[in-house]
Amino acid sequence: MSISPVPMEATMPETASCSEGPRRFGYLRGVQWRIDLGILPSSPSSSIDDLRLVAANSRRRYAALRRQLLIDPQVLKNGSCSPDVVMDNPLSQNPDSMWGRFFRNAELERMVDQDLTRLYPEHGSYFQTPGCQGMLRRILLLWCLRHPVYGYRQGMHELLAPLLYVLHIDLELLSEVRKVYEDHFTDIIDGFSFHENDWTHKFDFKKLPEYMEDCNGSESPVKINSLGELEPKIQTIVLLSDAYGTEGELGVVLSEKFLEHDAHCMFDALMNGTGGAVAMAEFFSPSPFGGSHTMFPPIIESSAALYHLLSIIDSSLHSHLVELGVEPQYFALRWLRVLFGREFALEDLLVIWDEIFAYENTKFNKPGTNDAESNVGVLNSSRGALIAAFAVSMILQLRSSLLATENATSCLQRLLNFPVDVDLLKLLAKAKSLQALAVEAINSTPLLILPRLHGRRNAGFTKAHIPSLDLTSPRTTLNMAHESYWEERWRVLHMEEERKQGSAASAEKQVPNRKKGWSERVRLRLSRTKCDPFRSKATFRKKNETDEGRKNIGGDVDFGHKIPAEVEEQDVKDTNFSTSETRCSSGCPGNEENSSNISDLSTPVRGTNDYVNMSGRSSVASNFSAEENDTDSVNFEPLQANPESSPLPVSELDPDDDTLNSTQNYHSVIKQAAGIKERKLLSDKFQLFWKFGRNINEGTSDRAAVSEDAIACDSGSDCNNVAGSSIVNGCNSTSGISKAEIIDQNLIFSLSDLGQSMLENIQVIESVFQQDPDQMGSLENCKNAIVGEGHITAMAALEELRKISNLLSEM
Amino acid sequence: MVLVLALGDLHIPHRAADLPPKFKSMLVPGKIQHVICTGNLCVKEVHDYLKTVCPDLHIALGEYDEETRYPETKTLTIGQFKLGVGHGHQVIPWGDLDSLAMLQRQLDVDILVTGHTHQFTAYKHEAGVVINPGSATGSYSSINYDVNPSFVLMDIDGLRVVVYVYELIDGEVKVDKIDFKKTTASST
Repeated sequence: MSISPVPMEATMPETASCSEGPRRFGYLRGVQWRIDLGILPSSPSSSIDDLRLVAANSRRRYAALRRQLLIDPQVLKNGSCSPDVVMDNPLSQNPDSMWGRFFRNAELERMVDQDLTRLYPEHGSYFQTPGCQGMLRRILLLWCLRHPVYGYRQGMHELLAPLLYVLHIDLELLSEVRKVYEDHFTDIIDGFSFHENDWTHKFDFKKLPEYMEDCNGSESPVKINSLGELEPKIQTIVLLSDAYGTEGELGVVLSEKFLEHDAHCMFDALMNGTGGAVAMAEFFSPSPFGGSHTMFPPIIESSAALYHLLSIIDSSLHSHLVELGVEPQYFALRWLRVLFGREFALEDLLVIWDEIFAYENTKFNKPGTNDAESNVGVLNSSRGALIAAFAVSMILQLRSSLLATENATSCLQRLLNFPVDVDLLKLLAKAKSLQALAVEAINSTPLLILPRLHGRRNAGFTKAHIPSLDLTSPRTTLNMAHESYWEERWRVLHMEEERKQGSAASAEKQVPNRKKGWSERVRLRLSRTKCDPFRSKATFRKKNETDEGRKNIGGDVDFGHKIPAEVEEQDVKDTNFSTSETRCSSGCPGNEENSSNISDLSTPVRGTNDYVNMSGRSSVASNFSAEENDTDSVNFEPLQANPESSPLPVSELDPDDDTLNSTQNYHSVIKQAAGIKERKLLSDKFQLFWKFGRNINEGTSDRAAVSEDAIACDSGSDCNNVAGSSIVNGCNSTSGISKAEIIDQNLIFSLSDLGQSMLENIQVIESVFQQDPDQMGSLENCKNAIVGEGHITAMAALEELRKISNLLSEM
Repeated sequence: MVLVLALGDLHIPHRAADLPPKFKSMLVPGKIQHVICTGNLCVKEVHDYLKTVCPDLHIALGEYDEETRYPETKTLTIGQFKLGVGHGHQVIPWGDLDSLAMLQRQLDVDILVTGHTHQFTAYKHEAGVVINPGSATGSYSSINYDVNPSFVLMDIDGLRVVVYVYELIDGEVKVDKIDFKKTTASST
């Protein structure tokens, strides 16, 4: 990783831990932070004068900005040759008019005030004073006006407050030093201290004894004759506050008058990262970072990077959290946006920020990446790595309590209520030790995959959860058109769900039917095709006969029958398989006809006794579409000999040479998935299926699609989608209907089947476990302990339910 | 920085159907802090509409108002200024400055807002300012048929008031501005 050769005051190797040499202004946090943030020159050779120069310039800029942006219509009324009154009257709708801007500013100010009144009430003696509040308000207003893209977001005030605070502390230190070394803060012109050389002063008898007394009475009765005799630190302070140095008063680095200017500069630098990677403003931005490869907001990416780092360091904790469904951004949003401001007391926070700012912020350039873009844009620097490492060390701090809970809510509670009595130095030390690791992790985070998986789930989960964590303030008028990324996603999802609901309603009819035939249908699992070898279990063999019968039925490939969800629930015995089978079947939209393709395809597949449940599906689907309420018929007819039912595209599952490869790929994927937890499995599958579904549209071979679907079924993931896509294949192959239409229909049907199967599952469970409240929890246990058929049924139903819910959440 | 809207003599629905659309588009809620109405709204719906523009509404009774419980005159204090409202049909001769000044002295206000003539005027004399916002809908009056819709927006800031006059002339909104300064702070 190459870092731009900006000399840090103490040499700090990029990969090293924090220990750089003694910080030049360690005792003056305000100055030190300004240097770290890039406002003041950081090279060790820069003198106090240089610092003053730079400070003066930045202050000038701020003053100009303030004049320009903070509108006071009164001032303009008095002074200027009034511009056209038609344009500039208070009711003017003209957005450029002075009054328009005034009203917009008023709006922004109102929002800022809402937050400011609640800022650090425990330090209210400083933060709640009107002067301080006024300064904070102005700074935030100006920054937001300069950056209308971001507008004002809750949390920005918490980033600004500590900055102002450290400047304030510096000033307090200054005044203390002043008291002690009074003499040397008098006019130091030409190196002379006038007290010594001022004859008139000496002859002022009244003053003299007082002066002597002061000298004697003061705590440190130091009689210092020149600046050089002072301790270097004090010397620096004097020089920094000397009103006659470079740039005069404007250059006084430790200046009360320019507190606001300096704070604004620091805030600005913090927010835009001064050319480095960590720009806090990105954490507030809903749109993807510059050249990011992923489509997610930077805060999400960073949260994912956190989890990635955690998984490297402590994979058991990571997997535990993932399993519980604790998405990183639930807590990381707050942690990152205010740089841990809400997790620690102010004094501790200052220490943390000391460390964070000490690290270089220049971007890493990964060799070989195009456009010098790496995965996690925002955290892509030493500083970013430390931030990530610190967050991870915080999580590790809570390790034992997190592992103890089995409940996502309590995990989040622990994370969001970080204990106050924590050893900060230990945390920091740990963070530093992890920093190097973090640098590696961030550069290698497979973010192309990571957020996507998370994203799928996020899409479903986070939108639901974000309102509870909502830290964003209402949009300013400036941001009216600026749609939140999550809002859009939610809308898309919502529409999908509505569609699903609509189709699910029709599917419900079939639900009651299924119940009866359950015990009978236990074995009516459709076996898998050989496409999924590792899944080949004996259980599916049973279905063979029925499948056989089905398969013999030739016909069109219209096997896109709506397979009633019940078939899914039938799968008592098996775990994923059966459920997935039923899923697959339920996924098939109603296709009445048999597909000739199916028969063709089925023959090669028949080799083994494993059949895709397609056939079962189609049969069921046909019944389904017929909308009969005859449970028995529904259960058995299609399975056994249903002339109407089109043989499922089992044949299609027959892998062609081409498809074989693809299926094998999928096999490997599926195998992997098998080792992962069920949910993950489903999510993976889901994505695959969606891809397949789309491929169909693009004219992939039907077989390929079907085989893919089969695989999907096998893996026991979202079979509905598979079914849908397979059905689509069938339909496409036969009829000349436009693929898109069919796919849509099928998908809708499959979705409705999903809903139906859910309902059926629920009902089954209800009937079997009437008094068992915690069914989902017992599912896992029950699975292994097969008590009785009823239980088995219930278990299967539960499992189905779970899968369906996972599926739905994916969507 | 207080914005006060002064309007009146709308005569809705008898003589006019509604405010001109251009005026309506300008009167968005949230900008104006007070509304002073000289009277002759005439119906409750207009009262409700004005309430949506700003909840702080002061109305004087006009001779055609259907809600008779409005006061004939009203005084209020905004910032450093004392304002008085009356409809003006009681002051005879209608629109005469001297008679209005009498009313102003009677009410002891710095700014007197009256209507009834459906004609915008703004007088300044040593005791204060007399403003007539005209008719916001441009409805005819008993003495004048050809009336331009007009209303007044006052920007009260400290000891100074800027009066913006909005008139709809030939379909275009014309704005004019008048400055008034008060010489001494009002004694409470």
